[in-house]
Amino acid sequence: MKLGFGRVSMVAAMLFAQAQGADAHIIASRLGDFYTGALHPLTDLQDLILWTAMGVLAGSLGAAKGRWLVLVFPLGLLAGLVLGRISGLVSTGPAVDAGMILLLGLLLAAAARLPTTLLCMVAFGLAMARGAVNGSDLAPETDRILFAAGLASAGYAAITLTMALTPAFSRPDAGASMAWRGIAVRAFGGWIAAIGLMMVGFALASHSL
Amino acid sequence: MTDSFRTMSLRIAPIILLALATVVVAQPAFAHEQVAVGGGLARGLLHPLTGMDHLIAMVAVGIWGAQLGAPAIWVLPITFPMVMALGGVLGVLQIPLPIPEVVIALSALVLGVAVTMRLRLPFAAAAVVVAVFAIFHGHAHGVELPSSANPLAYGVGFVLATGLLHLCGITIGTLTRWPAGERLIQGLGAVIAALGCYFLAQSLGAVA
Repeated sequence: MKLGFGRVSMVAAMLFAQAQGADAHIIASRLGDFYTGALHPLTDLQDLILWTAMGVLAGSLGAAKGRWLVLVFPLGLLAGLVLGRISGLVSTGPAVDAGMILLLGLLLAAAARLPTTLLCMVAFGLAMARGAVNGSDLAPETDRILFAAGLASAGYAAITLTMALTPAFSRPDAGASMAWRGIAVRAFGGWIAAIGLMMVGFALASHSL
Repeated sequence: MTDSFRTMSLRIAPIILLALATVVVAQPAFAHEQVAVGGGLARGLLHPLTGMDHLIAMVAVGIWGAQLGAPAIWVLPITFPMVMALGGVLGVLQIPLPIPEVVIALSALVLGVAVTMRLRLPFAAAAVVVAVFAIFHGHAHGVELPSSANPLAYGVGFVLATGLLHLCGITIGTLTRWPAGERLIQGLGAVIAALGCYFLAQSLGAVA
């Protein structure tokens, strides 16, 4: 019994010592590397706009086409993250970033009936570009695997939720009384395109200055 | 169906709030390059709202669109932001437009008169009128963009604010379904036109 108590207190002391070390680590990396990866894109306005636009566009095309993105988008993020680390090409430049916003907004505003392959290609390209950009802020001590897992999870959750919410809001089969909802989704595309157009202008202006 | 949808949206609301709160709280913890998102966003949001001449013209665009009905009411909210952004690009590039103050005041006057008289222009003509004004309004916002702490956040803010002003106008415009509402809207149009007159006089230097 006495021995048992001694063991227990020793284990407890060891755990305590370890816990302190872990605690310090958590404070250093704030929420751990998984959450760093997951929250990193969600705190970036560029990512928020692009991911939301991508999700709404895919959602407006219907579940049959959109559901491919559940897989394609997170994989694209991972591919971009890895390729960005290998090649060192991390930034696409402000004009390309703005151009992507403009393109997605125009596609959404025009209610373009994209074929599934093209939609997947656009999503994969966008995800790769954003994955590379998100990877560029990696600190040397960050756990790459955890960061990548967090980033992919965030991409999966964001794109799936946005895609699911879009048809739930616009309800394309609800008849004429709900038609304004579909128009609202297209008007949202118009807003996105307007932001993109202005940022293209701004990128070109600051480039020439 | 409707009830289940409503309960679903009730359940979604706290989650979205939580997500938003997470994003807002998480903001300062990360060493991002983006600076002053909040400041840029607030400035962009407030820019269309603080200029009275802008504000009334944007609401008038929405009301007129609702009065014109079928094609205008849905073409307008989709294309107006893009045309305005064209003007915004001109502003960003510092390409000057002639007498911007006068045209913006004129836009409030013309749109106010159109709402009051229930002016039924052919769709193409109405679109041209609105597009010209949209470019001037966008130009005024765009000039401010490069000096903003975060240009992207500023752009997001001003597009959102303008879109929501249209939405206000369109919502007011749905009053046209009732005869009394129609009178009310025509009165509102007269007020907008009168304010437009005042701003026009101001921009021409007649009023201090």
